[in-house]
Amino acid sequence: MTPFNKKRLHRVSSEPASPKDITRRSFLVRGGVALGSGALLGLLPLGCMRQATTEEKRNFPQPGVKTEYRRTICTHCSVGCGIIAELQNGVWVGQEPDYDSPLNLGAHCCKGAAARSHGFGEKRVKFPMKLVNGAWTRLTWDQAINEIGDKLLKIRAESGPDALFFCGSSKASNEGAYLQGKLAAFWGTNNVDNQARICHSTTVDGVANTWGYGAMTNSYNDMRNSKAMLFLGSNAAEAHPVAMQHILRAKEGGSKMIVVDPRFTRTAAHADIYARIRSGTDIPFIYGLLWHVFKNGWDDKDYIAKRVYAMDDIRKEVEKWPPEEVENVTGIPKDKVFEIAQTMAMNRPSTIVWCMGVTQHHMASHTVRLFCILQLALGNIGMAGGGANIFRGHDNVQGATDVGPNCHTLSCYYGLAEGSWKHWARVWGVDYEWVKARFDMSAQYDSGGGKMAYTMNMPGIPVSRWIDGVMEDKANLSQKDNLRAVIFQGHACNSQTRGTQMKKALEKLDMLVISDPFPTHMAVMSDRKNDTYLLPTATQYETCGCCTASNRSLQWREKIIEPLYESLPDHVILYKLARKLGFADEMFKNIKVTKDEPLIEDVLREINRGAWTIGYTGQSPERLKLHAQHRRTFNTLTLKAESGPCKGDYYGLPWPCWGKPEMKHPGTPLLYDPSKPVAEGGLVFRAAWGTDYNGKSLLASGVYAKGSELKDGYPEFTSDILKKLGWWDDLTPDEKKEAEGKNWKTDLSGGIQRVVIKHGCAPFGNGRARCNVWTYPDPIPVHREPLYTPRFDLVKKYPTYADRKAYYRLPTRYQSIQSVNHSANYPLIFTSGRLTEYEGGGEEQRSEAWLAKLQQEMFAEINPRDAANAGIRNGQWIWLEGAEGGKIKVHAMVTERVGPGTVWTPFHFGGWFEGKDLYEKYPEGTAPFIRGEACNTATTYGYDSVTMMQETKATLCRITPA
Amino acid sequence: MKRMIGLLTVSIVSAVLLAGLAGCSMEPRSATMHEPGVYKGEKDQVLALQNQQVLIDRLKLVQTDR
Amino acid sequence: MARMKFLCDTERCIECNGCVTACNNEHDVPWGINRRHVITMNDGVSGEKSISVACMHCTDAPCAAVCPVDCFYFTPDGIVLHDKSLCIGCGYCFYACPFGAPQFPEMNSFGARGKMDKCTFCAGGPLPDNSVEEYQLYGSNRIAEGKLPLCAEMCATNALLGGDGNVVSEIYIQRITQRGGRPQTWGWATAYDFGKEKKP
Repeated sequence: MTPFNKKRLHRVSSEPASPKDITRRSFLVRGGVALGSGALLGLLPLGCMRQATTEEKRNFPQPGVKTEYRRTICTHCSVGCGIIAELQNGVWVGQEPDYDSPLNLGAHCCKGAAARSHGFGEKRVKFPMKLVNGAWTRLTWDQAINEIGDKLLKIRAESGPDALFFCGSSKASNEGAYLQGKLAAFWGTNNVDNQARICHSTTVDGVANTWGYGAMTNSYNDMRNSKAMLFLGSNAAEAHPVAMQHILRAKEGGSKMIVVDPRFTRTAAHADIYARIRSGTDIPFIYGLLWHVFKNGWDDKDYIAKRVYAMDDIRKEVEKWPPEEVENVTGIPKDKVFEIAQTMAMNRPSTIVWCMGVTQHHMASHTVRLFCILQLALGNIGMAGGGANIFRGHDNVQGATDVGPNCHTLSCYYGLAEGSWKHWARVWGVDYEWVKARFDMSAQYDSGGGKMAYTMNMPGIPVSRWIDGVMEDKANLSQKDNLRAVIFQGHACNSQTRGTQMKKALEKLDMLVISDPFPTHMAVMSDRKNDTYLLPTATQYETCGCCTASNRSLQWREKIIEPLYESLPDHVILYKLARKLGFADEMFKNIKVTKDEPLIEDVLREINRGAWTIGYTGQSPERLKLHAQHRRTFNTLTLKAESGPCKGDYYGLPWPCWGKPEMKHPGTPLLYDPSKPVAEGGLVFRAAWGTDYNGKSLLASGVYAKGSELKDGYPEFTSDILKKLGWWDDLTPDEKKEAEGKNWKTDLSGGIQRVVIKHGCAPFGNGRARCNVWTYPDPIPVHREPLYTPRFDLVKKYPTYADRKAYYRLPTRYQSIQSVNHSANYPLIFTSGRLTEYEGGGEEQRSEAWLAKLQQEMFAEINPRDAANAGIRNGQWIWLEGAEGGKIKVHAMVTERVGPGTVWTPFHFGGWFEGKDLYEKYPEGTAPFIRGEACNTATTYGYDSVTMMQETKATLCRITPA
Repeated sequence: MKRMIGLLTVSIVSAVLLAGLAGCSMEPRSATMHEPGVYKGEKDQVLALQNQQVLIDRLKLVQTDR
Repeated sequence: MARMKFLCDTERCIECNGCVTACNNEHDVPWGINRRHVITMNDGVSGEKSISVACMHCTDAPCAAVCPVDCFYFTPDGIVLHDKSLCIGCGYCFYACPFGAPQFPEMNSFGARGKMDKCTFCAGGPLPDNSVEEYQLYGSNRIAEGKLPLCAEMCATNALLGGDGNVVSEIYIQRITQRGGRPQTWGWATAYDFGKEKKP
């Protein structure tokens, strides 16, 4: 047994950082003891002088005052829980369960249930500020925007537009995120990104390259139809707690729940089968499952024959993974691997769930592809209860991925080729040549493998690598100059790896702008003295707009309260910046602006006009608001409205919602499900890679969506194909004019999509899912040991890639790191994960008392064996040193939750750096209640070979008593 | 001036006395009035609550698997 | 007349603490106090189970039995409440309570206790319903509004049920009947090769 039975370290918070910290609230921080021991509080002399009296109660409902109800969506994760706020005179006085929401049915985890504490906002950035010789100084908004704009224009004149890195946010609304990407485009750089890069970018790319779209195929609700559920690197109980409602109901209905994770998580505690896997060995594990699937004939041969390309290549690779080798590499006993394979095969439809434990690896794009391939082999994709249920992280990370700022594509995955720019230029109503002139056209640079291109057509520097954009020798960059200014709007930097290098990069920058409700770790971690700006930014409870839940449903958020203090919403700040930088008229040409505030509905309408690729075209603001209003009419299992004005629609019009809003497409609840007509939400696999490759057809055979007039596979639709099929005259004259020479992605009239769907077909064609992605570094997924592997003996057999010279504009190391045996000095695997109370960088929740009081300490979970070896006792301070020398001082939590050889930490803490509390560096009154070491101070190098995802889940460390 | 202070003193003293007396008489729930096993606090309005069916309906509406 | 009851289904509880912050939200209790706790047993090892605990509103409530000033009273539907103007903050109820429900705010540097505070089943106290005074001392009164405790109403997985005991019991019985129908036994033993891997 473990030496304790409490959840986390439960102890009185550490001493105050500074005598200056004597505020009413901070007294509470220090006086507080953690949950579970509250009753003893009165018996313990804690040195707390103040009285906990009724004056503490804030913003509560007053009798006799009219109460108003507004509805929004929780801003903490991708489940998309509805929140009902009660307001009196504009003050958020109460919260009620949104039991009519078909997604959460009124339920909340601790974060959603504490949403109202947002309205207190005591730790918020209250007005614009800048650092002057190390001191925070108040500015007006005009001063701040003018100074930032002047500096940007100066840097642009000297170093070109690519010297700016703009980080947008998955916490922004779809409209905000879209404008963030648009701002970068109009400024003239692709150096723009958001959290999706370090969240599920590998999923998005790997899965899209397999069957068309890189998103969750089914929904949380639909998991209630699953007969078996396999969770890999997903701790839903802590990361997506409300999803567990559907998951546990599935389990109670007979579904088998399997959890594979290096940690015995809270989710694993509810599983039927748990297997402890070595971090970073998911590919061998899945091959281990496939070995049994093929050997026992459990593969769905009919499905594969009709809908899958190149499964034989996989069969060949599987031969390399007999059960003994799988056990040797993954650490999972071979009986267990068989049991899991059998459970998945014998209980179909079975579904697979994965999260950051899988995606944050240097070969994760290939890992997620193999997950898809397992599901294809079992014939599980495109049906209720099956699918790849990829749980996204942030509340709008799906939306920000789709419409928002990305360094490697334009909005809605349009790519960076000339045609894509021309498409969006038409939507924006600006001349393509004007857009082009905004970019650095002075020279071409190596876009990879010696292929030269303009930066306009080359992926920008991603958020995972911006520090290298600052620090790398200019001569090695595929752009004119280093990054000299960065703007972070809604992204916590403590979620990015290599904190020690980040500190140096921050100190080298000419300008740092943080536009956020809170100062964030970024404002305090470096020793910058000047040219650092804090812009108080509204949260999503202080503005309106829509967000996309993990299941692709769009939900409308009403504004709950006015922005606190001097905060402004993202879109207002972006407008002010654009105006200062001189392109507001072009950027907001289609969007009504009142008193510097762009009309959110107009922004969504512009997205609707351009987003044909993924069907963000049918979700007009009016339809989304109607869904919110009538949410009780939607079935909680199928998400289909059975009556009322939304009858026939699926809740939130999950994308693709084809055609124009007037076409009233109901949305697509389950991707690639041919049992329904496309017009009613059915779909087939996308034909995105041509009609054949290496002599084999890439089009489906004998499978088509119900009611399709084409009874076989077909390519994606163009105006020419319409003419060949004799469907051209179904277009109206106006549609014909626009659609001529266009395809389903570029026809702004929507006529092609309308006509194609009328004939029962999918606009993107009817293709096969690909097991072989010939454009990838590994066309067939192969195992590659982590760069910092504890099994150096396996490196020779399973080596990483060769170093690359130009990749996302940067040199990128693989082999040169892995070739050294780091495990000699750093023997323990270092991995990280989530706590329920916090999310992402955690600044927001650590600044809100109801949540902060539940998790007061940064800690590291250490197996009793490793603790004993290092002479560490439970609860003591330790140093955890990463393999690149970054050190963090944390409390030890000795527990069998992690296996021998693995150390785990949460990643939400910040405000400390290498043993030092940075309290003094926060602007007065803004330091979060709870501060601690950012685990990423100790994480190391390593980037995915397709998307530049950072490696956070398999590196090495050593631990010593502090 | 002296008279003023005198008057003021008198009125303060009497105010304090009055308040004290009132305090005594308005403290019927003091522990010294305690009878073992008998609750002598304020009567709660909820005792007269008639909304049982409302609460049952609410339970079924909000807390069930739907 | 039915009695109000809480029931926490440990097979559903995921220790997300939603009930704890829902309670904070509804009553805004001070930093040192949580009227509801989630306790985890066998943390991190086989047999891990979590349960949400607060005042269980006992029929023969030990707190009321031992209270030297008899500040407790019972509503007709079995909710155990107390009058803070009578409470002397002695802490005897804390010793008597099998669930650790009574909480005591810290009052000064000598560690003296304030008046006892505990879960009210969201039924406030003896002051006028939903008056400012009632809110300040006891928190809000959802029962008077025809609503049930927010912790149960917001529970992420419907693990925590709170309301008319008979209905709660019906919901729970239906649930365990379905679980009993699973092809394999519900529970940990089958989930984790219990016999093989459990250490003494």
